[in-house]
Amino acid sequence: MKQKKKRIGAIALMIVLTLSMILTGCSSKSSSSEKGSKNQTTVTFWHPMTDVTGEAVDAVIKEFEKQNPDIKINAVYTANQGEGQNEKLMTAISGGNPPDVAYFDRFEIGSWAAQGSLEDLTQLAESSGVTKESYYPFAWDEASYQGKLYGIPTTTDSRLVYFNIDHFKEVGLDPENPPKTIAELEAAAEKLTKKKGKRFERIGFIPWFGQGWFYGWGWSFGGEFYNPETNKATANDPKLVEALQWMTDFAKKYNVEDIAGFTDSQGQGAMDPFLTGQLSMKVSGPWEVSAIKKFKPDLKYGVFPIPTPTGEDQTTWSGGWSVVIPKGAENKEAAWKFLKFFGGEEGQKIFSGISRDFSVLDSVNEELGYKEDPILKEFVNILPVSHHRPVMTQGSLYWNELASAVENATRGNGTPEELLTKVNEKVNKELSK
Amino acid sequence: MKGNIPLAENLNSPKPEPNNQINITAKKRLGKWGEYKTGFLFASPWIIGLLVFYAIPLFSSIYFSFTSYSILQPGEFIGLENYKNLMNDELFWKSVYNTVYFAVFYVPLGIIFGVALAMMLNMKVKGMAVYRTIFFLPTLVPHVALAVLWMWLLNPGFGLVNGILSTIGIDGPSWLGSETWSKPSLILMSLWGIGQAVVIYLAGLGDIPEDYYDAADVDGANWFQKTLHITLPLLTPVIFFNLVMGIIGAFQQFTLPYTLTQGKGTPANSLTFYVMYLYDNGFKFFKMGYASAMAWVLFVIIMALTAFVFITSKRWVHYQGK
Repeated sequence: MKQKKKRIGAIALMIVLTLSMILTGCSSKSSSSEKGSKNQTTVTFWHPMTDVTGEAVDAVIKEFEKQNPDIKINAVYTANQGEGQNEKLMTAISGGNPPDVAYFDRFEIGSWAAQGSLEDLTQLAESSGVTKESYYPFAWDEASYQGKLYGIPTTTDSRLVYFNIDHFKEVGLDPENPPKTIAELEAAAEKLTKKKGKRFERIGFIPWFGQGWFYGWGWSFGGEFYNPETNKATANDPKLVEALQWMTDFAKKYNVEDIAGFTDSQGQGAMDPFLTGQLSMKVSGPWEVSAIKKFKPDLKYGVFPIPTPTGEDQTTWSGGWSVVIPKGAENKEAAWKFLKFFGGEEGQKIFSGISRDFSVLDSVNEELGYKEDPILKEFVNILPVSHHRPVMTQGSLYWNELASAVENATRGNGTPEELLTKVNEKVNKELSK
Repeated sequence: MKGNIPLAENLNSPKPEPNNQINITAKKRLGKWGEYKTGFLFASPWIIGLLVFYAIPLFSSIYFSFTSYSILQPGEFIGLENYKNLMNDELFWKSVYNTVYFAVFYVPLGIIFGVALAMMLNMKVKGMAVYRTIFFLPTLVPHVALAVLWMWLLNPGFGLVNGILSTIGIDGPSWLGSETWSKPSLILMSLWGIGQAVVIYLAGLGDIPEDYYDAADVDGANWFQKTLHITLPLLTPVIFFNLVMGIIGAFQQFTLPYTLTQGKGTPANSLTFYVMYLYDNGFKFFKMGYASAMAWVLFVIIMALTAFVFITSKRWVHYQGK
């Protein structure tokens, strides 16, 4: 009898333990919605921001909560949420338990929208008067897929070439008149490079270093990557082949393995080769300005647009972030209010003011003085002609394929034309599915 | 974990006490199920875990490999399309090549170095426990930390490896930045974490009775002959185990190259390993069906290799007492 009691007790204990384990596993949802007493709605917001941007987003949330006392934003830091690293968000959406708002790389909106994993915001935007006019056109377009809006843009950037003024003077180049054409760029790079054996003491320029992605060179050479009408990639555009050929020739001239040896030795932050004076020119974005201010405030530098073959029609490309509502979010209405605030003038002013990332609203950039800063104004001024990466279902695949095409071409594994044709075939095959 | 079932069964199996009449008759009445009920109950957390988190996903991935499943969308049934596409996917073949290259060099080198190291660590020298610990320590380092550490060691400009090479007049390559050297670099770092296998070899060495060596001494055998005719043959069961585990591990290489290249497999896809490409397809390109197909192809490859090793093992594995 005693034994039996014991056994029942043991089984009961086991069941209780198992149940409690299962319950704690599922409880995250219930506890978050219960927290907001006094009829408060809690909006869960996943974002990957730390440091300055983290402070900026906290400030935005604080102001939003002040204006909307009935909504509480539960900001959750999610490491690795960004380009091609959205595994957590993906599983949360497919598991039917997503956050109400997610900070999301605009570049991926197309493919995620095509998968039906983001809420369509078109109606909400129309009814509350959020329109394309106030935003930079590329930012709005990148947040839309097939004419429907899926995200509210929050930040943007652009890419220019940074150059070291002292190096320019040292080799007799005019810092007032930086390279405009590809030929001038090449000549300057040659003058600036100091190579001993296999080792670079200083290298003038590395086209694919930093933000020197193929998208930038392709557009600068006048090529097109995608035809939205036919929904076809156009990676084998002769202009793009020309751009890749130029990069390949550059790699051959300086020996790509030696360049790799150089770039692999470099660190980040204060150890960036441009800051240590080992690299004279580099393609990068506006964030480089704060890095220079932080690590090497006495560096004399300037910026110029990415050169083109003719020296005219200079362009660049922009990425940036947005806020989205994942499919299946619980508190859509409250979430939309937050989106609207974040992407609106007020939120933008707070966020951009602290993070020093460009706003997607031209008026805010003007107000924050970005158009007066001698360096930053160059970045802002080129925004109206800036490109955005194609909004397509295979954005990540295309990006990866182009990156490896550049790697393979510069390392002599196939000609640019062959490689780009292959990329085109592969991406188009997936697009047609 | 797997120990749970036999343990539970033992607890419940008929006890060898003959005078416990009541217990035995009760068992008979309850039949087989009653006999195992408690055991299964105790094992149930594990059984449920295995079914829900392993067996069901495992077998549903067979089905998914015939669909265009994307995690976010169920996709359609497309028959053998995924498998057909794999055969024409250049990057797939590149990843197969990289993985096979790694396995072909890493597995034999791992055995040679592992056995040699174990034999050295089996010598009767003072402070051996310290040496053994030193060689085991690297296996405790997480793979991500290991990758970062080796990135610095192999740094072409300031790295320790090239620094040492340059003192003897060799201009070292750019290791991870070079297509030719990236895979050898990876093999080198993987060999660094060989401690786990060494411990198993050590256990195997400890299992060889001294008598054989004594007898060989009487016959006048030298060290080399003893190693070749006693140590190695009697170590073959352990080598066999490590060979199978090594092959499986090598084909599943992921963390190290993924961290080293931030998932890009650079330079020029020379570090794109099979499982990395599988992961990209599943979680970046919305092609979970395709990734499932890749997983099953990998399963077949590993299964075939393991079967091959098992079949040949009859010829070269010598168990003691047989």
